Amino acid sequence: MTVATTPLPLSETFAPPSPSELAELVAEGCRTGMAMYPMGGGTSISNGLVPKRSGWGVSLANLKRTIDYPARDMTITVEAGVTMAALADQLAREGQRLPVDAPQAADATLGGVIATATSGPRRYGCGTIRDYVIGITAIDGRGTLFHGGGRVVKNVAGYDFCKLLTGSRGSLGVIAQVTLKLRPLVETTALVACELTDFDQAETLLAALVRSKTTPAAIELLAGAAWADDPVLGPTSAATKARLVVGLEGTAAEIDWMTSTLAGEWRELGVQKSHTINGAAADRLWSRLVEFPAAGEPPLAIKASVLPSAVTRFVVTALELAPGCSVQSHAGSGIVLVRVGEFTAADALRLLIAGLQPAAVKAGGSASVLSCPAGTELTHQAVWGPVRPEAAVMRAVKQQLDPAGLLNPGLASFDLR
Amino acid sequence: MIATRLLPLADELRAVVGTDGVLTAHSDLLVYECDGFVIEKNCPDIAVFPRTTEHVQAIVRLANEYDVPFLPRGAGTSLAGGCLPVGGGVMIVLVRMKQILEINLRDRYAVVEPGVVNVWLTQALKGTGYHYAPDPSSQGACTIGGNVATNSGGPHTLKYGVTVNHVLGVEAVMADGSIVEFGGPAEDPAGLDLTGLLVGSEGTLAVVTKAWVRLTRDPQGWRTMLGIFESVADATNAISAIIGAGIVPAALEMMDQGILVAVEAAFHFGFPLDAQAILLIEVDGLEAGLDRQRDRIIALCKENHAREVRLAASAAERQLLWKCRKQAFGAVGRLSPSYCTQDGVVPRTKLPHILARITEIGQKHGIRIVNVFHAGDGNIHPILLFDERDREQIARVLAASGEILDECIACGGSVTGEHGIGVEKIEFMHKLFTPADLDVMGRVRTAFNPHGRLSPAKMLPTAGACGLEQKHPGRRAAL
Amino acid sequence: MAHAADAAPPPIPADGAAPHATAASEAAQVAVPTGRPGSNINYDLFLDCVHCGLCTAACPTYLELGNENDSPRGRIYLMRAVTDGRLELTHDVRRHLELCLDCRACETACPSGVQYGRLIEPFRVAMESQGEEERKSADWFHRLILFGLFTQPNRLRKWLAPARVAQRLGLVTLAEKTRLTRLLPPRLRQLVEMLPPPRRSGPKLPPILPAIGKRRARVALFTGCVADVMFRPTHWATARVLQANGCDVLVPQGQACCGAIHFHAGSSEPARELADANVAAFDYRNVDAVIVNVAGCGAMMKDYGHHWQDEWQPDRADFAAKVKDVSEFLDSLGFIPPEGEIPLVATYHDACHLAHAQRVREAPRRLLASVPGLKLVELPETEVCCGAAGTYNLTEQEMAARLARRKLDNILKTGSRAVLTGNAGCLLQIMREARRRGERLWVAHPMDLLNLSYQGKQPPV
Repeated sequence: MTVATTPLPLSETFAPPSPSELAELVAEGCRTGMAMYPMGGGTSISNGLVPKRSGWGVSLANLKRTIDYPARDMTITVEAGVTMAALADQLAREGQRLPVDAPQAADATLGGVIATATSGPRRYGCGTIRDYVIGITAIDGRGTLFHGGGRVVKNVAGYDFCKLLTGSRGSLGVIAQVTLKLRPLVETTALVACELTDFDQAETLLAALVRSKTTPAAIELLAGAAWADDPVLGPTSAATKARLVVGLEGTAAEIDWMTSTLAGEWRELGVQKSHTINGAAADRLWSRLVEFPAAGEPPLAIKASVLPSAVTRFVVTALELAPGCSVQSHAGSGIVLVRVGEFTAADALRLLIAGLQPAAVKAGGSASVLSCPAGTELTHQAVWGPVRPEAAVMRAVKQQLDPAGLLNPGLASFDLR
Repeated sequence: MIATRLLPLADELRAVVGTDGVLTAHSDLLVYECDGFVIEKNCPDIAVFPRTTEHVQAIVRLANEYDVPFLPRGAGTSLAGGCLPVGGGVMIVLVRMKQILEINLRDRYAVVEPGVVNVWLTQALKGTGYHYAPDPSSQGACTIGGNVATNSGGPHTLKYGVTVNHVLGVEAVMADGSIVEFGGPAEDPAGLDLTGLLVGSEGTLAVVTKAWVRLTRDPQGWRTMLGIFESVADATNAISAIIGAGIVPAALEMMDQGILVAVEAAFHFGFPLDAQAILLIEVDGLEAGLDRQRDRIIALCKENHAREVRLAASAAERQLLWKCRKQAFGAVGRLSPSYCTQDGVVPRTKLPHILARITEIGQKHGIRIVNVFHAGDGNIHPILLFDERDREQIARVLAASGEILDECIACGGSVTGEHGIGVEKIEFMHKLFTPADLDVMGRVRTAFNPHGRLSPAKMLPTAGACGLEQKHPGRRAAL
Repeated sequence: MAHAADAAPPPIPADGAAPHATAASEAAQVAVPTGRPGSNINYDLFLDCVHCGLCTAACPTYLELGNENDSPRGRIYLMRAVTDGRLELTHDVRRHLELCLDCRACETACPSGVQYGRLIEPFRVAMESQGEEERKSADWFHRLILFGLFTQPNRLRKWLAPARVAQRLGLVTLAEKTRLTRLLPPRLRQLVEMLPPPRRSGPKLPPILPAIGKRRARVALFTGCVADVMFRPTHWATARVLQANGCDVLVPQGQACCGAIHFHAGSSEPARELADANVAAFDYRNVDAVIVNVAGCGAMMKDYGHHWQDEWQPDRADFAAKVKDVSEFLDSLGFIPPEGEIPLVATYHDACHLAHAQRVREAPRRLLASVPGLKLVELPETEVCCGAAGTYNLTEQEMAARLARRKLDNILKTGSRAVLTGNAGCLLQIMREARRRGERLWVAHPMDLLNLSYQGKQPPV
């Protein structure tokens, strides 16, 4: 998806060439009371909420410079408009990486990934973007350029704006520049997969992984049509209910040990057949696991965050509520992604408000819409679920940083105007 | 003596928590006049010991009603005056809220009250295969509530991250007395990451009354090494080499010759006393990968002229090494009657530079400085030795401390990696942040704490802090 | 202080000269402070405390109460404030200092090497000299029972005789059950309830028990006061274990109470007299060690050289250097393991005066680990005081009871049927708590268990 198909009511779009000009632009918008919509690669803009206020698009397309990359310190300071793919290439040349998965990495920008707290399968082993941002520069809703954190990996001076802005969906400020903590590239990876013929077995294996001797980077529970046709995962039979895929990263010796250990642990739990995926096939599968929420035609993609022990139950509920849907769960972290193919707006509203939202709350968490095809408009309740009491505190923070409510008005979960 | 106008407040507080939960006598309050930072002192008017969140709520409401400042305190181990009750008022001592409410291994979290001592949680988890990763050197006494307030680190945070990376959610009593939950056992709650903001906010935004913390799998094995170097520069170069080689040790700590002598006197480990620096390096993880990491580290140390690299031969030897490291500050008491520990951070490649500068600064001011620190994070802890009875020496110590921290800032670093700003480092906030940054921080504080009664004059050099200097002329004089 | 006169013979100097009792008490008189309380303390000891707070969570009273005035850091702050004249020695301040168990867990936790015992003990001596009403020696319980009776084995045995008879007849249990003991003053009631169940105490130990097998050492056994009456079987067990390890065991007659009860209550002078009596009674220069099996006594006796600075100080220091806990001694001698199998799950409680004051932790565990069949499980909070703390359970009953509850809760959590500990006070305290709660638990000294294994016998569980 590109900026061209955005549902945002933009009167004009600007792409300032420097953070200070970005600050001037926002200040100008502020003076004229203009709503402003920060934009990175546009990969996460359509989530079914269509803002009413027309305003400016504030594009980060021209802010993609590297400010400083002291590779031996394992930190990098870059402008927020850099794409995840370009960043990964640059880091790989030094044998380093930012181990945060983002779909559509060629378009998705670092700023956008931070603003939406995008994550993927590796979050189980590597954490999320929140764990890697150590310095941040942003422009708040008054046009004030401010920064938090710094360029060192350990720092507790002042309020942690890195955390405050991560996942803030552009509601508090436009992220202009970021300093990241980095990790070394891993030597190799592999995935171990098995077929599950019932969901009780799924929970048994997931619970056992908590005690596994291995240290998975990803624990993925896959179900539905999207996963039926992949030869890498093995053939599908009528009895196949789901698949469990464990992603491993490390040295060749560690991977060898972990694949055989895991297969052994599973055998003891009654898994007749499991198989290891290496090399190019592994790369392809990792890529599918990362791209699932965005792949193919613009889907209705829903993300639920529940207790890990409730994942299986939630997956079963989702398959019942939306027959034909496909599900991927980062099961170790309690994240469940649901993709629904054919639906009407009314179906979607019913599925969310009467189905998945209450199911997520029951499972100890919440659910939200990740993406929704342009043209389908959803309600705030459908997209974000019930408003929780802490939203009042969030609004108080927004009131301080964006008193006129100009940044992404009405788009954040707590923003009810 | 408690002010007459506060007598009815004390009575109302007693009605909330019981008579044994309220201290008002001067002799009882004296010990609460400072924490681990002893240069500035001020007694609270009342210390109160809640046992439940509802108690905290009632206390906060009463403090608002009587218009007095209030602040939370855990074990009082802050090294930056985080628990200093500036302007007096009500000190909410949370140590009686000390239940581990839940341990859930399937979902890998625990729920604790703020007064739970850090090491209790790890002790409670013994044998489960899990532990609570943040391990500040004071973990035997400091509380998890205090860890949350200051975003505490520790040696093993190099690989595992600091407190904020392990807190899933908190329950907090807001400045107005309302009880709000942020986050919880499920990851990725909707909306702003206010849990992440509250962690490290030094008690200036809300009083945390419960925390959901992530549990971490115990590593399968360890290799703990002791690299012995003839010069500090060789040791710091070895640190850069190890990090630069893409190895992420679980911990990478340095001790210089000065501290080595004290630690050896205290614990008799058998450190070579003529070595100029030693590195304590630990890698952990799968046995399958450990020997190779160990060999690479030994090779890198040797390339950087290590005289010798020793390997901890047993679990007991590893424990003793860590005891030496974690209790090193205390052992400094053997070198001089008083000391002042600084907490700067520099990019890791700047370690050779900053250590050379520290030596120069020490010489310039005639102050002996020894070093023990989290080298892998670039988090330095120069320890300045002095005698607190000598006012002139104190002045030189403060001048030297200031220059070291200024140098950290000049290197692109920070003035605190884990101890916090408290009252100690408020003046450095101007150097680290622009007026616009501080304005936004002030606004965030206003969103949570509009009347400023909660932990006034902490962390942010606001107008309140300037007012403080006038109200407390002794504050500068004490420095 | 009426008890002082017949407490013990005056010390006889090594050169055989007549004792200079007056000179000695004059010298001691100098140590008694005349100015503010605390002015008798080397001020540098206060400065060792850098106020880091790492001691707090190690302190049993702080763990229970959470009030920092009841923690080591708080108490040091109070003592220093009184010394500096910032605070008066009020009743409140006294209470925080009296509530200290003197368990020294804080010294173990302290990274700065603060010698807390060297602060609180002389400060208590100073407190004792201040304020007539609050003095412990002015209190009937301290005067008559603790100082007058406890430290006098013969008197204690006589006094206990009717109580023992009552016990054998089941009268104590009956009285406890019918709450008749409530008619007694509370501290005396506590004392009666503390009595261990009667067991055959055996004859008095002879002056010499010869080594079994090859002679490896010659030691003198300290039998003390309270322990000699209540724990004679443990003394026999200790002697037999020493014999089995090739030790000639001498049991000097004329030995006295170690003086800890007096000293910890702030009565320095009577304690010194008892110390000197022991120095005189033991032919310590001609033995390899003076063996103590009660941690509280051992800790006190190891400190004889530090407490009083007079002309006999060098003798006391020489004596103190010979004092060894029995497990410490056997471990360093090279323990000959027993062979009798004892299939038992047991736990070990670290007595404060062994673990913290004497830093003996691993030795008893190593000895016990050598017993075939014995499974030793770690006790949670093993180094937190059980509340006995010498006579603390008689003087600070509420806190002592809280700590006893906490200790037994932890013991029960381990699933052990036996708990072993190297101190008389702990044994009594844990036994009483177990009895109170109707828990069947064998509470014994490590030497009791080792002796059974040497004898090929089984414990009563």
